[in-house]
Amino acid sequence: MTGAVFRETTAEPRTESVGLAHLSLELGHLYMEDFEGGPDRLRDHFRRVRPWVDAVRADATALAGGKRPRISTCFLIDDYFTRFSSPAELVPLLLDEADRAGLVIDYLARESACAVADGVPLAESVAGRLVESPPPGSHGLRPPVGRTGWLANGERTPAQRAREAMKSTAGWQPPRETAARRHSVFMDVELWDDKEGRRTWSCPFLAAVWQLARLGLLRHHGEPVLTASPRAQGDFPRDWDDLPPLLRLGDSAVPFSAYRTCSVLPSRFLPVEHAVRIVLDQVDVDSRALEQAARRSAQEGMPVPGSVADRVSYVFYTVP
Amino acid sequence: MDAPVDTTRPVIACGEVRTWLLPSFRPLAAQEAARLLLLRADERVLVSERPNLYALSPDTLTGVDCRLPTSNGARVRVVGTVAARASLTEGRVVQATAYFRAPATGPAARQPWGHYLVRPGVLEPLGKLPEQAVAQGVLAGGRPGELDLGLIADGLLTRLRQHPLLHKNTRVPFKSRRTSLRWVALPAPDGQGPSIERFTLAEDDLRTVRLRVPRDTEPSAVAGLCEDFALHDWLLTTVVRMIDGKLVPVEGQAALKALRPAVEHLLHLWMPRARVDRTLAPLWDVLEQESGFTRQWRTLSQRIRDQLALLQTIGSLPEAPLHRDGAAESRLGTAS
Repeated sequence: MTGAVFRETTAEPRTESVGLAHLSLELGHLYMEDFEGGPDRLRDHFRRVRPWVDAVRADATALAGGKRPRISTCFLIDDYFTRFSSPAELVPLLLDEADRAGLVIDYLARESACAVADGVPLAESVAGRLVESPPPGSHGLRPPVGRTGWLANGERTPAQRAREAMKSTAGWQPPRETAARRHSVFMDVELWDDKEGRRTWSCPFLAAVWQLARLGLLRHHGEPVLTASPRAQGDFPRDWDDLPPLLRLGDSAVPFSAYRTCSVLPSRFLPVEHAVRIVLDQVDVDSRALEQAARRSAQEGMPVPGSVADRVSYVFYTVP
Repeated sequence: MDAPVDTTRPVIACGEVRTWLLPSFRPLAAQEAARLLLLRADERVLVSERPNLYALSPDTLTGVDCRLPTSNGARVRVVGTVAARASLTEGRVVQATAYFRAPATGPAARQPWGHYLVRPGVLEPLGKLPEQAVAQGVLAGGRPGELDLGLIADGLLTRLRQHPLLHKNTRVPFKSRRTSLRWVALPAPDGQGPSIERFTLAEDDLRTVRLRVPRDTEPSAVAGLCEDFALHDWLLTTVVRMIDGKLVPVEGQAALKALRPAVEHLLHLWMPRARVDRTLAPLWDVLEQESGFTRQWRTLSQRIRDQLALLQTIGSLPEAPLHRDGAAESRLGTAS
């Protein structure tokens, strides 16, 4: 019913809003190999990141018209693909090394939270929202999205029978990027694999979920997900599972999610982040969450780009 | 820099509704309906229990890049997403609608896909869109390769059909056909209310509706109105077919077999305007005056009740239940 006298709350759509900073700045992404490099590796990372953080802040200040921008910083630790160390051992070390470079980490997230956070299957929800970019000629007859676990930025090379393929390459047709400018940069992204009845989400797919969370565009039945928990008194726990999926480390009042994101990463992440862009470009995010971010950013005089993928930026630095 | 909110003024909205008996022996309860229509794990199914039980799925999108049907053969390529949703009324009648809206002009070249995804349910033309030719083309149906809304709506019904809730028991209490209703809505002249320009009962269970609606009308509200039309048209069509030629003579099993499903499953479903947007609800009155949907339904219902009373008076009511005899296998994909 549309009347104001009689209401049924189960019959009305609703999407709660979340706090939004101007920029979510990711200071790093820690995998086991980085950890195995010892404290020097972390020290070197933060030392390299620092000048870029200053540059990003300067850029954000300019975008905010000279006013002090609301920037929250975050750091992601992989506990999904490999489990290493423990929060009690690693987190203090991480905070020390960031502090040494003059950096403050506001929020700490676990990579597994991008798969399931507080019992909510975020990755599965995002997978259910994939709407593939249609190659020209698509009129509605398309196989269901994402059945294969692969997502491309164009049309794949048509499958050939092995014998034909061996005979000659005359019948071969190239893949084609849908948004190609004359020449294609075709990419096919593996979103997950299923082995022994267990689904493992790929690193690019979880990184795309991570970006959507940082952009404040994820909801579950209209409610915010991956909400930050305050740091508990005392030492950090011994087990990663005992650490909240998203932890607010300091008393920063700046929200975790933001209109835009920027990530400062080593250049080896470039292919992963290209894949992230391909995923982000094909996710139909909650339209009311999208509308909230658009309206509020416009009210602040810094409207977000229409396309979600364009709200994401990077600084890639080279490792010597 | 463009905002993600749709700033383009749509000059046309089009849709196609497929209406079908839920392939299940018994109607689904509210919670089951919500499970069936949970097309996205993170988005709620809207469930309403007043004035009748009704559940509505979230919209899902299908990306398209193809030509629109046009009546004059004009080539209009559009890119964007078609929205599709499903609803279940009284756990018994399932409907799937695929619909879109389109502005008069669009960018000359295809944009990055993210541009279209922040405009859900919008198809942007490459260049100009001749809305009159498109309106006629959509209602008449396209040629192969042109946008086919019915295909998208059917795809959604097929997806529901594969749901575990419907997988086991596909026996239906009676035979019925799937009907299609195509609609187009063009803007009403400024300051004027909505109007129905034409409601056509075509062959092959196809109905077409041509509407004028105020410019700020949400396409989902138009879709809701047309789903309401389609539901009631399906009820009439189904009951008329169900009793066609079976009421005379009134004696015996045949008459009761024919009447019983109507009483058990359909007669209580008649409730026009239950959830139609207030600004569009007056269009029902127009349809009633022109075609007398409710008059026909009342006459049919009364006739069924009279016949049952007569059967009872004659004393020919059998004692054994008729469920098993009356059941028929449901078949997806065939019209009959």
